[in-house]
Order: sequence, then C-alpha cells, then structure tokens
Amino acid sequence: MVMIQKDESALTLNNICKTFGEVTAVKDFNLAVEDGEFISLLGPSGCGKTTLLRIIAGFETPDSGEVLLDGKSIIGLPPFKRPMNMVFQRYALFPHMTVYENIAFSQFLKKRPRDEIEGKVKKMLELVQLQGFEPRRPNQLSGGQCQRIALARALVNEPRVLLLDEPLGALDLKIRKQMQIELKKIQEKLKITFIYVTHDQEEALVMSDRIVLMKLGEIIQVDTPKRIYSHPNSRFAATFIGESNVLDGEVKKVNTDHLLINADGLQFITNRNKDVKVGDKVVMAIRLEKVSRVIGRAKKSYENQMPGKIEDIVFFGSIVKYYVRISENLILIAQENIAEEESEIAAEENDIGETVILGFSRKDVNVYLE
Amino acid sequence: MKKSRKHILLLTPLFSYFTFFFFAPMFVLFVYSFWLKTSTGLVPTFTLQNYLYIFSKKLYPITILRSLRIGITTALICVVISYPVAYSLTFKYKKLQDVVLYLILVSLFSSYLVRVYAWRTILGSSGLINQILKYLGLIEEPLRFILFSPTAIIITLVFILTPFTILPIFSSMQNISIDLIEAARDLGANKFKTFYKVTLPLSMPGVITGFIFSLTISTGDYVTPQLVGGTEGLMVGRIMQDQFGLTYNWPFGSALAYFMIFVLILLINLFIGITTILKLRRKF
Repeated sequence: MVMIQKDESALTLNNICKTFGEVTAVKDFNLAVEDGEFISLLGPSGCGKTTLLRIIAGFETPDSGEVLLDGKSIIGLPPFKRPMNMVFQRYALFPHMTVYENIAFSQFLKKRPRDEIEGKVKKMLELVQLQGFEPRRPNQLSGGQCQRIALARALVNEPRVLLLDEPLGALDLKIRKQMQIELKKIQEKLKITFIYVTHDQEEALVMSDRIVLMKLGEIIQVDTPKRIYSHPNSRFAATFIGESNVLDGEVKKVNTDHLLINADGLQFITNRNKDVKVGDKVVMAIRLEKVSRVIGRAKKSYENQMPGKIEDIVFFGSIVKYYVRISENLILIAQENIAEEESEIAAEENDIGETVILGFSRKDVNVYLE
Repeated sequence: MKKSRKHILLLTPLFSYFTFFFFAPMFVLFVYSFWLKTSTGLVPTFTLQNYLYIFSKKLYPITILRSLRIGITTALICVVISYPVAYSLTFKYKKLQDVVLYLILVSLFSSYLVRVYAWRTILGSSGLINQILKYLGLIEEPLRFILFSPTAIIITLVFILTPFTILPIFSSMQNISIDLIEAARDLGANKFKTFYKVTLPLSMPGVITGFIFSLTISTGDYVTPQLVGGTEGLMVGRIMQDQFGLTYNWPFGSALAYFMIFVLILLINLFIGITTILKLRRKF
C-alpha cells in the first residue's frame, strides 16, 4: 500500500539510510520539503549532504527508505527519468558544445521543435543575464558565467525540484556573494523548489527559507535561518552556524523562571530550560554579539556580569572583537559594532591588558544538556 | 621578447634534427619524384611520368588498394577493440588501470621483428592454432590459409598496433569528468545517448589519433607482409623498397611514396569528415 501524502510537500524523504562499506553516509533521514521552498542542507564535509542530494537526483540508491515526489515513490527511477535537475559544483558544462547547445541539450533530447528551443534558451539566458552568449564555448567563459549557464541548463527543463551541489564553491568571494542574491531572486521568481547543498553557513543563512543542519549523516536541527541562529539547539548548531561563546557547566539550582549554573567557578543565571534538573551537566552558548563591555554612564545592567582582562582586540571593519580572560580557563569573546564618533562606546576605548566588565542578559544564553 | 627567444632555443635541438634528417630527405625525395630514370642514370627534369606510371600496370593499383584495405581493416579493428578497453579502464576498473597499462606497454618491450616471428610460429601449419584444432579433432590437415595471407598480416598488425590505439584513446578519456556524464544523465539522456552525445565526442580526439597511427603504420609496413603475408599479401611498401634497393628507380619509388602520402592524407580527412558529419567531433 502506498500512502498518499495529503500535505503539500513536494519532496518527502522517509527513513533514508545509506552506507558505503563501513562508513555511514546518511542515517535514518526524514525531511519534507515544501513546494517552492529554498532549503539548504548545511554541514561540514563528510556529513552526508552531498550523498543525500545524489540519492534525490538518482545517482545513488539508498540502502533503505523512501523518496517521494508529490507523494509518489521515485526510488528505482534513473536520473534521466526524474523531473529534477542538478547544478554541479564544477559546472559540468559540455566542453564540446556551445552555450546554446549546452542549454538546449535536454530540449534536443525531448525532441522539441526548433523555434521553441531557441525561444526557451533565449529566455533562460535573459534570466541569468547573459543575453547573446549562445555561440560562445565554455572555455571562453569565466567561472561565474559558467555557473550561470549551468543554472540555465538545469532550469530550462522546468524541473519540479532543482538540486544544487555547492554551486558557488568554486567561485571567488565577491562573485559568490553576488550570485547568492541572484540565485535567491531567481528562485523567488520561478517559485521552483531548490535543494541547496553547502558547507558555508553564511550562504545558507542568506538564501534559505529553511536550513537543515547535518552532522555525520544525521539531522541536528531544521529551522528558518533566523530561528536556527537565535535558538541553536545544540553545541554543534551554536558553533557551526555563527560564532558562540561555549561554556561547560553544572546546574546548581532550578527556579520557576531561571536556572543557576556553575561554570569555571563562576555563577551564571539563565532562562529556564524544561529538560534540565539540578546536577545536570549542561552547555551554555552565548552569541558573541550578545556579550558586551559594561561601560559608560548608562551602565546598562545585565543579569550576568563579570570582570576580566583584555587579551586581544581584533578589528573586522564594522565590528570589533574583544577577547577577555575571565578566569584561568575561560576566555569570553565580546563582539561590538563600531559605534559612531560621538557615542559613549566610541568614547570609551579599551586597550589590551586593561580590565573591563563583560555582561550579557540571561535570555541570550542557550542551555543544552550535554 | 627575451622569454620567447629562450623558448625557441629549447626547441632548436629537435627542430634541427628534424630539418636535417626528415624534412631535407623528404624534400629530396619530392624533387626526385619529378626526375626521370634512363639507362644512363637519373636525369634532373620536371615530369609527371612517374606518377602516371603508377596506373600503367595493374600490379601497382592492385597492390596500393590491397595495402589500403589491410591498413583500414587493421586500423578499424584496432580502434574497435581498444575503445572498450580504454573505456572500462577509465570508468569501470579504475583500480586496474596501472597494471593493465603496464601490461600493454610490456608488449612494446620486445622487438617488433620478434613479435612478427612469434605470430609466424603461432599461425604456421604446425603452429599453435593448427595444433589445437587438430587436437580437438576439428581438422585433419593443417589449415594453410591462416599463414601467408592478408588475414595473417591483419592479425599480426592488430597485435602490434593496439597499444598505439589504446593509449591515445585512454588518455583522451582521462579528461572526461564523471560530472559531465552525470550531467547528461540528469538532463534526460539515457545510457546510450549519454555515450553518443558526451563520452564518444569527448574521446574522439584519441580515436582519431589512434586511427591515424594504426592506419599509417600498417599501410606502409613492409616487414610483416614479407614474413607472414606470402604471395597473396604483397603490399606497397615492398614495391617501394624494391625501387630503391633493387631496380634503382628512385624517381618512381619517390613518386609512389608521395602518392601514398597523398592518399593517406585524403583518407584521414575523409575519416575526420565522417566523424564531423556524425556530430562526433567538434572544434574546442
């Protein structure tokens, strides 16, 4: 019996498992991708994200589990019969064909009439802003142009789902940033479901509707970029996406609305986490920008405040990071925006070696059971 | 400018070698082909008589056609049997690559003559093939047509020339990334279409190189026909050799040589033309 799914998910993955010899690439993976969604599979190399994409594309067969497209299983269908197309990291443009022939490749195979193909190719080149590139050859294009053509070649087929395997990985930083925005715009315009594999957390944050954070073949967290950033669910999520101060501690007291946690001989107050009880070993993660120096007349007060000695100050243009040693084993990093000339923060500059007070609010501490 | 001059300096040794020992003699031969041989010796002149003489006797066109037939057959067999080897070594049995390529090279370690003689023994009337057939009771008398026939020449040349087709085809396949094959499959091409539209065109430079190697070497070969070809297997190389070594008709020998070069260039372009028409080859 095939269960017809009633929800609107375009692509559903049920209990996907895949091993290569001894190595588990994907472990009991479940995910429902909604129609028109831009979803990123994010994780360090070896987390199984590319294997998963190749399973969806049909280049790999899972050991067990189901891949449903619009409620119908597509396991066993060869790649050329799946209404999905892929954009490869190294473009994979056919070097013996012109740009026109590359984009038209799938349409030639479908034996579409000539004027229809020409019109479609033209439209696609407009979409990727490379009008008039038809007669060029891939070796006459830059990396960024190649990837746009690869995108056009995949999109001309009007795929139900577009699979992208680190498509910007081979490009340099500036073009990559520009392409991120462009890709997102194209996706919003065409309303095609995008499944985007990347190891670059920034890329995932910029483009995705939802991020699937993966580690060692398993899902760690699935959520919107905003939520996954502000509420990472684990030490891994807190450190892989964005930067966090991470402290190991032990729960000393559980109150109705807050916790008291001891870490490195210091007491910290955090919001209540329902899962923990007194004596539990926990991890606290605080985003760098949530920690700041307590200075100036206003002396904004935080629930958690502690003095420390500045070990290092690193300047990043619009932001600056203070590395502050709180105790022998504990360095906290505070990240501040460079403020305008006349503000209080700018007025009170600190130097390496000086003592400052760092503070952060209890609501900004994420607590996880270890 | 300085950089490019240094570059030229590096090319000088080979270039001068080729100039003195290849281009110059070739030019001399070309000039000879318009001279005349008379009873008193060679007369420097300009005549096309030597070229026309090729068509004056039946023997020459027949031998030329036979040489071409043997050459084309050998080259086609070489390419056809080498292609699957190169393909599977590249895409299916990657781990065996080094071993198999080494074994192919090993066959080049022994002298060409030794290998031809070996085939003479294998194909001979008391050779391996006849012995086996006899032992199996399939034949009473040894088959004599195996040795001393055009077939024997083709069998021997295919063995000698397959390394020259496998290696270029193999090396042209090294540039075909798996991504390209997967991209084609992803874009709707089945296995056959993927092969015909992507793999084959991209490996065509190697196929053409291998075909040219085996065609020119086999068509011009004059040792193998003498050793395993018999009277049926006279090839054009032998006739040319006789013009220089026996009858001292250097002008005719030169004309014959240049005629063959011309015919082979024509054939090779025809082959390349066919692959272009079949859309198997494009400019990169």
